[in-house]
Amino acid sequence: MTSRKLILLVFAIVLVLGSLPASAQDDQINMTMWVRSIPFQTQALVDEWNANNDSQIELTVIPSAEFVTKMGAAIAAGEPPDIASIDLIYTPAFAAAGQLVDITDFVKELPYADTLTPAHMALGMYEGRNYAVPTGVDGSFIVYNIDLFEQAGLDPDNPPTTWGEMLDAMRAIDALGDEVYGYWFSMNCAGCNAFTFLPFIWASGGDVLSDDYAEATIDSDPIVRDALAFYNTIWEEGLVPEGASIDNGSNFVSAFTGGNIGMAGMGNFAIPLFTNDHPDLNFDVFHIPGKEGGAASFGGGDVIAIASGSQHVEEAWRFIEWTMSDEAQIEIYAANGQIPVRLELVDNPYFEGDERQMTAASALAVGFTPYTTVYNDLFNDPNGPWLEMLQVAILDGDIDGALELGQERFTQIMEG
Amino acid sequence: MNLSWSQRRKLTGLLLVMPTVAFVTVFFIIPLLMTVYMSFHDWPLFGERAYTGLENYQELSKDRQYLKSLDFTFRYTALVTPPIFILGFILASLVRHNIRYIGVFRTIFFLPVVIGLGVSSLLWVWMLDDRIGIFNKILLDFHLVPKAQLFLGRPNTAMNVIILSVVWKTVGFTMILLLAGLQAIPDELYESAEVDGAGYFRKLLYITLPLMRRTIALALILSVIGSVLSFDQFYIMTRGGPRNSTISIVFWIFNNSFTYFKMGYGAAMSIVLLAILVALTGLQLYVLREKE
Repeated sequence: MTSRKLILLVFAIVLVLGSLPASAQDDQINMTMWVRSIPFQTQALVDEWNANNDSQIELTVIPSAEFVTKMGAAIAAGEPPDIASIDLIYTPAFAAAGQLVDITDFVKELPYADTLTPAHMALGMYEGRNYAVPTGVDGSFIVYNIDLFEQAGLDPDNPPTTWGEMLDAMRAIDALGDEVYGYWFSMNCAGCNAFTFLPFIWASGGDVLSDDYAEATIDSDPIVRDALAFYNTIWEEGLVPEGASIDNGSNFVSAFTGGNIGMAGMGNFAIPLFTNDHPDLNFDVFHIPGKEGGAASFGGGDVIAIASGSQHVEEAWRFIEWTMSDEAQIEIYAANGQIPVRLELVDNPYFEGDERQMTAASALAVGFTPYTTVYNDLFNDPNGPWLEMLQVAILDGDIDGALELGQERFTQIMEG
Repeated sequence: MNLSWSQRRKLTGLLLVMPTVAFVTVFFIIPLLMTVYMSFHDWPLFGERAYTGLENYQELSKDRQYLKSLDFTFRYTALVTPPIFILGFILASLVRHNIRYIGVFRTIFFLPVVIGLGVSSLLWVWMLDDRIGIFNKILLDFHLVPKAQLFLGRPNTAMNVIILSVVWKTVGFTMILLLAGLQAIPDELYESAEVDGAGYFRKLLYITLPLMRRTIALALILSVIGSVLSFDQFYIMTRGGPRNSTISIVFWIFNNSFTYFKMGYGAAMSIVLLAILVALTGLQLYVLREKE
């Protein structure tokens, strides 16, 4: 045998041997998971799972604005991920199109199913069957600056409980100086205002959609008009910075961190952000009030589901079930300042003594999310009827025109 | 295989054009035919597709935003084309002669063209910002305005500043096109005109413009098509706002196709827009044709 042949033989043997472990690994389950780019704890969950399990998950983070389009394209191409963490408002649309695996039988077996956040469970249902469970919960509330409250002579231990009290507090804070404002809203951001403005209407017993989600109630529910007038007053009196009118959400969180804003609608994702990055910010939170009292919250966040076509349904569910376990919920969620999806676990060592987390978590108990397959077209679209209605009413002061416009365009979209 | 000279010649020609034919077929003809096919269907991103005939096209006349977007797009085109063209012509005239350091000026004028429109739009968003933008800083420092202006917050100013940003971004390209046309005109023509006593405007009117007809046609067609198809600047700078006043037609097609997932309807709008563009270009070519 020439040395050349010998080298080739050795090379061939190495190749064959090298491929052996690979074929042995064929039994290993490799799953794909897609998540939208929001600061939930998904990466930590996947890392922990991969370190302790034979099956492995490859996580892909997709920009939030592109998630549904990419997911739809992947489904159309027959290559969806096994597991998807979806903005909960899109779940009905995906389930209705038959793109998610029915997990009703799995959910039935969960001993804690009743304690999972109600808004997320409701959105994960379609025609009486479960298609998704909560994975990242995000309720809305009002965050307020304790220092500014004190400077304005307000009692930070007794935050406002009605719209009138909120307005009074905003006026008092606004009077502190030219660069100090009572409130912040991102009035060029559709989703931000669904998250923080709709609860004002709900807490007062009103809604923009009928109970069966069949029609719009914008021009027939007097509370909608009152809520628009409430926000219009905030704008007209200059209680928000002028720049708020064109903010597309990029300052939704950061505006409050400047220390010159008295109150702002916010979600619990911001709490760890504020405490870690802005330790000097002295803040607390209260529930979004109704006109004369009451409280409501928008149940936002993500649900987790298995995409139709996945070859690993059982294993995918094993992962999903583990994400809801005591271990994951406390040592990964709570330890990172995220509210557990099982509300009974809010009482945990990491949240002990932090009233803000407790209030934020209790907002989820009153959390609600509209159930409609056209949510995106109605509320989230920057060119949709929701934002245009708010801008016309609040910034232009044309409430009648806004109600008419909102009712007409909502109806048009809902009738398809 | 025995081929005659002329047969071989034909075959060579065919082989030479094949790559282009293949490219155009794959990237233009097939997508175009698919778009036409989609436009006759109810075509959601996921879920069942259904043949709906001409329904998507009939829907167009009832779509208020579609008509509003068409109106906006043509108004925008009418407003943005003259400044790009006139400024481009002035700049081309200024940098026409090959004198020392003229390359520096040509480069400076052309520089914005090499930036992507998306990037330049973002740049303008920050320059126009009410808190940290350079424009507001200058206006406030010189006491030209009492408080920071929200340029992108009002329909009129939003349209004006977008036009300003696009002129800045694209005028260099028009300048280069017109410069090539200007430099192709022989100096002798101007010299003889001067001998005959022609002034600047006579030379412009009777020599420059007539001899640049083809170049002007090309520059105009490219500019008009670019404006009618504009999307990036509105998507990035205003997101169609304020109050949906800056939604261009391509923006509306994008929204329907990729936000509302009505791909069939989006396809129908695209076909109508294609027809409009073909008609517009034909009209421009007819008006600017070389007269026998």
